[in-house]
Amino acid sequence: MELEEMKAQWQQMSAGMEKQKSLTDTLIIKMTQLNYRDKLNKILIPETIGALVCFAAILFILTGLQSLNTPYLLVCGIVSAVILFVMPVLSLKAVYNIRSVNIISSTYSQSLARYAKAKLQFVFVKKLSFCLGALLMLAILPVMGKLISHVDLFKNTNLWYWYVIMFPFFYWFATWVFKYYNKTVAGAEDILKELAD
Amino acid sequence: MHNQTDFTVIIKQNEGLIYKVVKVYTNSKEDEQDLYQEIVYQLWKCFSTFRGESKVGTWMYRVALNTAIAFLNKQKRKGSQVPIDELLLNRTEPADTLMAERSEALFAQIKRLSEIEKGIILLYLEGKTYDEIAAITGFTATNVGTRLGRIKQKIKEQIN
Repeated sequence: MELEEMKAQWQQMSAGMEKQKSLTDTLIIKMTQLNYRDKLNKILIPETIGALVCFAAILFILTGLQSLNTPYLLVCGIVSAVILFVMPVLSLKAVYNIRSVNIISSTYSQSLARYAKAKLQFVFVKKLSFCLGALLMLAILPVMGKLISHVDLFKNTNLWYWYVIMFPFFYWFATWVFKYYNKTVAGAEDILKELAD
Repeated sequence: MHNQTDFTVIIKQNEGLIYKVVKVYTNSKEDEQDLYQEIVYQLWKCFSTFRGESKVGTWMYRVALNTAIAFLNKQKRKGSQVPIDELLLNRTEPADTLMAERSEALFAQIKRLSEIEKGIILLYLEGKTYDEIAAITGFTATNVGTRLGRIKQKIKEQIN
C-alpha cells in the first residue's frame, strides 16, 4: 500500500469513526478519576519495602559492629552495609528517571530519547544490582552468622570452599541473566541512533 | 476554560484521535483499554496548564503520543479501571466488515514501523502539515520530510 493510498484509507476510516462517537460525559469523568494512587503504590510499595528491609539490615549490622571481632568479619560487615545502602538508592533513582519524563512539555523526540537513555541506565543498574546482590550474599552470610548465632562461619564451617564451588554457577547464571537484557539495550540504542540520523 | 465540562467537550470532539493513537501503540484489547484511560487521565491532569497557546489538537497529540511512549516504557502496573464499553474500542468494526478488515491491515502495517516512524506517520495520515508534525515531534520540518521519504520506502519494501 502506497503512502497516499494509506492516507486516503485513513481518512475514510476517520470519517467512519466520527459517526460512531460513543464516549459519554460520565465515562470521561470516571476516567479522569482513576485511582492513580493504586498505580503509584504498585511500584512504590515493593521499592519502599525493599529499601526499609535494607536499612533495617544496615542498622542491625551497625549496632552489632563491635561483635565482629576479626578484621575479615569487620570487612564483611562494612561491605554488606555499603551494598545494602547503594542497592536501593540506585534502584529508586533508576525508577525515578523513567518516571520523571515530563509528558506535557516534552516533544515526542525528546521523550523517546529520554526513555531510551533511562532504559539503558535501568539495565545498567539491574546488572550492577545483580552483581552487588551476589557479593552481598557472600559478605552478609558470615556477618549474620556471627551477629545472630555468635559463630564464626569461616572457622567453624567450610564456607570458603562453598564460595569457590558456587562461583562457576553464579558466573553461568549471570551470563544468562545479562543475555535477557541484551534485547532491551539494543532496542534503546537503536532508538537513540535513529533519532540522531 | 479549565473545568470538567470544557474538558469532556474537548475529549468528545477528539475521541477518534485518542483511539487512533491507542490502536497504533498497543497489541491487545486489554492494553487498548489501559492506554485509552491513561491518555484521558493524563490529558485531564495537564488540562489546567493548557493555556490555548497551541491548537487543542497539537496539545492533545503531544500528550497522547508521550503517554503512549511512557506506557510502553514503564513497568506495567495496573490501577483501578473503568470498564470501557466494548463499542468504544471496536470503532472500526461496523457492519462494513470489509472496511474493518482494511483498517486493521492499515494499523498492522503502521505497527511494523519503528517507534519514531509510528508517531510521524500517524500525524501525517491525520493530515498534519510538516510544520505541525515538527511542532509536535520536535524534529525540524525538513527532517520530517526526510523521515517520511524513508517511511515511504520502508512501506514499499514491506509490501514487496
